Amino acid sequence: MAVNFQHPFQCVQYVQRPQAKLLLVSAGPRLYSYSAETGQRLASWPQDTGSSDQEPPEKKRKVSSSESGPLEEGKAAEKNEKAKTAPAWSNIPIVTSTSNGEYAIAVTGEDKCIRVFQLQDDGSLNQLSERAMPKRPSSIALTSDETTILCADKFGDVHSLPLIPTTDKPAVAPRPNREAKLSHPAATNLTVHTKGNLRALEQQLLLASKKKEDGEERSVGPSFEHHLLLGHVSLLTDMVFVSLPSETHKRTYILTADRDEHIRVSRGPPQAHVIETYCLGHTAFISKICVPQYAPEYLISGGGDNYLVVWNWAEGRALHKVPLVENSSAAEVVVRGIWATTIGDLRLVLVALDGSPKLLCFTLEADGALKPQTPIDLTGNVLAVTPLEEDNTIFISVDSIRTAGSIQEWRASSSSLTPPTLIEAFRPQQGSEGSSLAWEPALKSATDAINAAGSVEVPATTEDKRRTELNDLLYAMSKLRKTPRGGDDE
Amino acid sequence: MTPPPAKRQKRDEYRKQATAANPEGSSETGLPTRVKLPKKKFYRQRAHANPFSDHQLQYPLSPAHMDWASHFPAYVNPDPTQTNLAGTRKLLKDVEIVDIGCGFGGLLVGLAPLLPETLMVGMEIRVSVLDYLTTRIQALRAQQQQLQSNQSSTSTSNTTTTDTTQAATEAPEASATAAEEASTTPSMETDTPTETPTTNNDPNTDNTTDTTTIVPGGYQNITAIRSNTMKFFPNFFAKHQLSKIFICFPDPHFKARKHKARIVSETLNAEYAYALRPGGLLYTITDVEEYHHWVLRHFREGEDEESVHGAAGSVKELFERLTDEELAQDPCVRVMSEETEESKKVTRNKGNKYVAVFRRKEDPVWPA
Repeated sequence: MAVNFQHPFQCVQYVQRPQAKLLLVSAGPRLYSYSAETGQRLASWPQDTGSSDQEPPEKKRKVSSSESGPLEEGKAAEKNEKAKTAPAWSNIPIVTSTSNGEYAIAVTGEDKCIRVFQLQDDGSLNQLSERAMPKRPSSIALTSDETTILCADKFGDVHSLPLIPTTDKPAVAPRPNREAKLSHPAATNLTVHTKGNLRALEQQLLLASKKKEDGEERSVGPSFEHHLLLGHVSLLTDMVFVSLPSETHKRTYILTADRDEHIRVSRGPPQAHVIETYCLGHTAFISKICVPQYAPEYLISGGGDNYLVVWNWAEGRALHKVPLVENSSAAEVVVRGIWATTIGDLRLVLVALDGSPKLLCFTLEADGALKPQTPIDLTGNVLAVTPLEEDNTIFISVDSIRTAGSIQEWRASSSSLTPPTLIEAFRPQQGSEGSSLAWEPALKSATDAINAAGSVEVPATTEDKRRTELNDLLYAMSKLRKTPRGGDDE
Repeated sequence: MTPPPAKRQKRDEYRKQATAANPEGSSETGLPTRVKLPKKKFYRQRAHANPFSDHQLQYPLSPAHMDWASHFPAYVNPDPTQTNLAGTRKLLKDVEIVDIGCGFGGLLVGLAPLLPETLMVGMEIRVSVLDYLTTRIQALRAQQQQLQSNQSSTSTSNTTTTDTTQAATEAPEASATAAEEASTTPSMETDTPTETPTTNNDPNTDNTTDTTTIVPGGYQNITAIRSNTMKFFPNFFAKHQLSKIFICFPDPHFKARKHKARIVSETLNAEYAYALRPGGLLYTITDVEEYHHWVLRHFREGEDEESVHGAAGSVKELFERLTDEELAQDPCVRVMSEETEESKKVTRNKGNKYVAVFRRKEDPVWPA
């Protein structure tokens, strides 16, 4: 019998709460919370609101349950999944949280909703708000006071919206901007002259007068409070909010990266329209930018180029170009993620490439150079990384569906008889920090528990077309590459 | 394979000849018959281009990688060791004026003698139109060089002033009134171009008439580049490099769905502010009244500072609109509203022209 696949963890986010260490994870259309210490599943979202009585409730709040609990209930949840109608989205590409662990923010894929959750020590997720953005968010960040969400979207815009929407104040009408819709055509017989255009204008005038009679006026744009801060005429891929201490007071910046090789450095709100500089040096799209918390003067960027660039971003100056592959003629590289963390007194930069089971590992030197270290080998493609700095450990989610090294080929389903590996944890080997860094598995019991509980099932019988769709959802960045086209383009 | 249509063939032939006839800077070889300016009819192209498409654009990695030397051979730094990051020769001065969406280049050709020592570049996304303008500038330069060498050999000065810009510099008060009309009474038809000494109003011949006078600068200070400025403006120009940006008769993109494609928007204005130095000017002119209001709205014109600072701040902090008196004193406004191909077309069709010019203010101080 063919064993079904499990949706891999697209996002992994470690959340430190005063009383609990949580792991927040998205798999397929679901959000799960786990205890980072025991690996026990604490809650899943969305709950089944309209589930029938005989099926057990999905949401679990038990912290001190038996070991077998999460496993069985996890299976039940999967059965449940098939029975009920599917949610409006099939993936959750962004999961983040406030630094105090009080709120979690997730973006659901197809419905473009930013969802804010209240997190509890028991891992429960209580959705406070859902706000459908006009365009699909590609990155979200929180301002330094963590009361405002910045949302960068595929349209090239960055909007700001309050973390907790105010209810007492009616939603502020969006600025009279792109949404401004005219009740009558903007063209007149003074501006259009050809026969065809004049006829079209006549039609529009007719339509406009009809509309006026009907009194219908369509309102466009979201109704909740939001402000347009800045915009590129290009798809935004990543955004970072940085707060720098200065002599007198704090200075804040928004760094935005786009598909057309730009990294823009703007001032933080309320002066986001002041562009300080650009970091220009990539020749392919940029997919990830990272400003290490331990060295906020540096920016590390990567994308479709086979190198990373380390920047002095405040001056827009490239400092180092770091090769990602030994053989530069090798297959095209897509940087999936860049994470910066400290382990002991090591200043680490971890880099994942699309379709690679190796997590590249660098140390950031004082001059901003990236010194390569031994990479971490995993059982599948690296998808996401979240560090637990105080435990000197990193959690890495791996692709359990596709074969290691490919973003298309699925594994033979028979090979997933044992519980598939969804997550792994590593820490540096004792005493290896001096000369060269070596890694060893960590928190085995926790990762085993998480892996055993599984996630949302993907049938082994999934058709090729659906498989390609799932591949594209998880590995979307390679689609950003510009394809040279022949002939004249006008 | 069917052969390309006759029209395409004719075009290709013509263009090949046109570029061959005006090889850059080779006027000293024998001085053949007078250099002809290109004919527009062989370069026409659909008026719209999708700014969101990738096209096949060439753009520098950064402003420090831009090869300006090939565009301004007369201004190349004589020291060959002075090279930019891409290894090409540096110029003696930076490009300062940009015409975004320069079309057939009427503004550049009009401004060139007015600001003979300032380097100007036109940016155009449409290939054919850019081909025309490049050929036109080359021809103009070659003509000027011919005239200069003729003059030095015969030492008889050619003083026929049929050139409109020449006339304008000699009669600044005339230009001032024209500009005033264009700005203060936008809803009225501006019929001034019929009074200016242009000898031709036929769109097919106007630019093919040869200049017979020596023009200051010899058109060595203008050039044109194919680019999508909405995407790649910061690749060409560094912070505060520019003193003037022109946006003349932009594609109105009438449909609301297409408004994001408009070249003026609050988010793009931030990019223009980045490239403009404090005190620099951004000129806009359109014949579409709704677009004019769009421009004012996206520069937050008419909003009080209070409401602006209350929320998230806006480009209002970066730009201020020029008064009508200031416009009247600016000869660039007159060139913009009379000498661009589009403005001539609007005049022919008795349309309106709406002018708005904004001055770049100093960057605001950092918030406390």
